[in-house]
Amino acid sequence: MNPKRILIDTDPGIDDSLAILLALASPELSLEGISVVHGNCSLEQATTNGLSVLELAHATHIPLAKGCELPLVQPSLLAPETHGNTGLGYAKLPEPRIKPTPQHGSDFLIEKILSNPGEMTLVAIGPLTNIALAIRKEPRIVGALKELIIMGGAIRYEGNTTALAEFNTYVDPHAAHIVYHAGIPTTLVPLDVTYQCVLTSQDVERLQKLDSPIPDFVKDTTDFYMEFHDAYQGMKGCVINDPLALALTFAPELCEYQTLPVDVDISGGVSLGKTFADFYNYEKKPANMRVALGVRPRDFIELFLGRMEKLARSVRG
Amino acid sequence: MSPKRIIIDTDPGVDDAFTFLLALASPEIQLEALTTTQGNVTLEKATRNALSVLELGHASQIPVVAGSMYPLVQPLRASADVHGTSGIGNSRLPEPAAKPLPQHAVDYLIERVLAEPGELSIFPIGPLSNIAMAIRKEPRFTAAVKELVIMGGAISENGNVTPLAEFNIFVDPHAAHIVFHAGIPITLIPLDVTHKTLLKQEHVDRLMKIDSPISRFIKDAVEVYFKFSYERGFTGCALHDPLTLATVIAPELLTLKEYYVDVDYSTGVAMGKTFADIFNVTKKPVNMKVAMDVRGDDFIELFVRRMETLARSITG
Repeated sequence: MNPKRILIDTDPGIDDSLAILLALASPELSLEGISVVHGNCSLEQATTNGLSVLELAHATHIPLAKGCELPLVQPSLLAPETHGNTGLGYAKLPEPRIKPTPQHGSDFLIEKILSNPGEMTLVAIGPLTNIALAIRKEPRIVGALKELIIMGGAIRYEGNTTALAEFNTYVDPHAAHIVYHAGIPTTLVPLDVTYQCVLTSQDVERLQKLDSPIPDFVKDTTDFYMEFHDAYQGMKGCVINDPLALALTFAPELCEYQTLPVDVDISGGVSLGKTFADFYNYEKKPANMRVALGVRPRDFIELFLGRMEKLARSVRG
Repeated sequence: MSPKRIIIDTDPGVDDAFTFLLALASPEIQLEALTTTQGNVTLEKATRNALSVLELGHASQIPVVAGSMYPLVQPLRASADVHGTSGIGNSRLPEPAAKPLPQHAVDYLIERVLAEPGELSIFPIGPLSNIAMAIRKEPRFTAAVKELVIMGGAISENGNVTPLAEFNIFVDPHAAHIVFHAGIPITLIPLDVTHKTLLKQEHVDRLMKIDSPISRFIKDAVEVYFKFSYERGFTGCALHDPLTLATVIAPELLTLKEYYVDVDYSTGVAMGKTFADIFNVTKKPVNMKVAMDVRGDDFIELFVRRMETLARSITG
């Protein structure tokens, strides 16, 4: 079978970087490009990080385009407490030699999607600004995109940014509103499932047996992330949200889904950015996405570790 | 003095069309392009109408570029009741021969503005979707635009689409919020002044004394708009969009005040309401000049005279 052709829209970001590595380590996938957005860190920093991670994994042939540096309507909100000042925790990757493509991230997505109608799966693991802008600028991408997998939202789970809202959605709720209602076949991967998937320090130690810069990066970047989870959420280990969303492109059986009408609050009150599903169909609106609500966490973590081991064997220092 | 170089971002629209004609009839203005957006009509009709009106004014060398098909977040809303189903009343302009440029209006605006920083003024007279997208797509756009002269909002005046909100801002309040707070020098022309700038039947009769497609177009274009305006208790139809050009051709007619202005996008009853902090209770810095008064009859007289001149130059 031909590998599934994917694009990643991302704000790397610790778990974003792990998702990029997982894509590169997975023969089921052909990663055809990355668009970068503000979010976990600034657009500039996220772009540098994206390029550095591609160099780390010897994947400099993959095009990366810079997108939006601000949310559509809300003021900028970055997450240095979660991802560190560089966005990659304690990892120190060399300054990248490769450059981003000159195109804007939204235009890059539009071109890739329109030139391959029905072919591209887009994995959105940051705030949805680039994708919302692309939809509004070129509405035909809605019909041309095969599938959209979004890491975002907290349906029956507490928020990780406000009491109610998940980070990616809270940072640009208006963009999320645009994307949710565009009519693209969408799968949402909310905190309900990602918070079951905890990478432990034992898991990270296991990778250390291989002599490669990949395990070193995973350790340095997740050490910081684990300290954050401990300090802010009283959790041992760290939640790798974005790699789970990425894994569902080729291993959908890791999750259980319900097809539901989903919306996001943009009314500006205490629940701004809250993603919610109408489980009982009170509002009689049609379902607009498939939502992952159950997960086999250990199967996913094992899959992730196996792929990182494979990548580590192919990328030597 | 060299003429002011402007791009009009527009959703034509009866009064939008009159704005193009006034720009073409005004030596103080050099109209460099029209960028179109949804609003009074769909994007497709807006673009067609823009091309047709330029052809009517013998100005088909001016490029037209199509932009946003939808507001950023709100659902699409087009207002056939005011502008007629074609968008320009009962006028029947021929299908335009010219085509829009292949570029997207957002990219066109970015390209033109960045190529000549500080040179180009943009006159947005429709919903602000294109301008907001340009600002978010290219952050350098903000510093390179000379100024924006926006038709929109109702400050101390009632709204014209909800009790509180004016149409252009209501259609895309999120875009308005982006634009108002971008840091670009802005002059706002709200309903407070446009409702004092009324074109009446006597003016149309005066224009009809000149045998020209311009006079006939104006007559046909305003029929629906007159009816709508009379129903709302006005004695004529408000020339909302053309009044933006008063900032160039007759600035002495406008009373401008400097205010902190914002727009409500919180989805309650005041959604899309544009408001000014007139007493500076929020202590926020001024972000625009707002036209709060106008010598409306003088502007209408100027408009009619310029249309007469244009009509005399375009006959047949």
